Amino acid sequence: MSDVTRRPISASGLTESEAKEFHSIFLTSFIAFTVIAIIAHFLVWTWRPWLPGPNGYTTSMLDGIALAKSMFG
Amino acid sequence: MFRIWLLFDPRRVLVALSIFLFVLALLIHFILLSTDRFNWLEGPHHGMVAQQLAPLPSAAK
Repeated sequence: MSDVTRRPISASGLTESEAKEFHSIFLTSFIAFTVIAIIAHFLVWTWRPWLPGPNGYTTSMLDGIALAKSMFG
Repeated sequence: MFRIWLLFDPRRVLVALSIFLFVLALLIHFILLSTDRFNWLEGPHHGMVAQQLAPLPSAAK
């Protein structure tokens, strides 16, 4: 009566080989996403670092002022 | 490690992860736009209130 030959189904319904296949795709995508995020964070840090020192943000906020002073005397 | 997909449905995980990351990214971008230092569209707004409160220069002179 009961189907003894059927292998036990997992909680998600995936077989082990399907889980392995999906895991490889997921891992590749995750690493690609993380690499892009790291590149973006590196670029933003070079533009304006987001951790002020003990004296606060010191010089990098003055670049606009220096530019304005050079333009308008 | 791949056994996690035997426990969690990959479709639901992907949908939940995409929604979470999208909302998080949107939130962080709006927070950054609301600051002076990291607003990349308009830059800092020093003295903006004073400019807005100042009377308009009279055109007829």
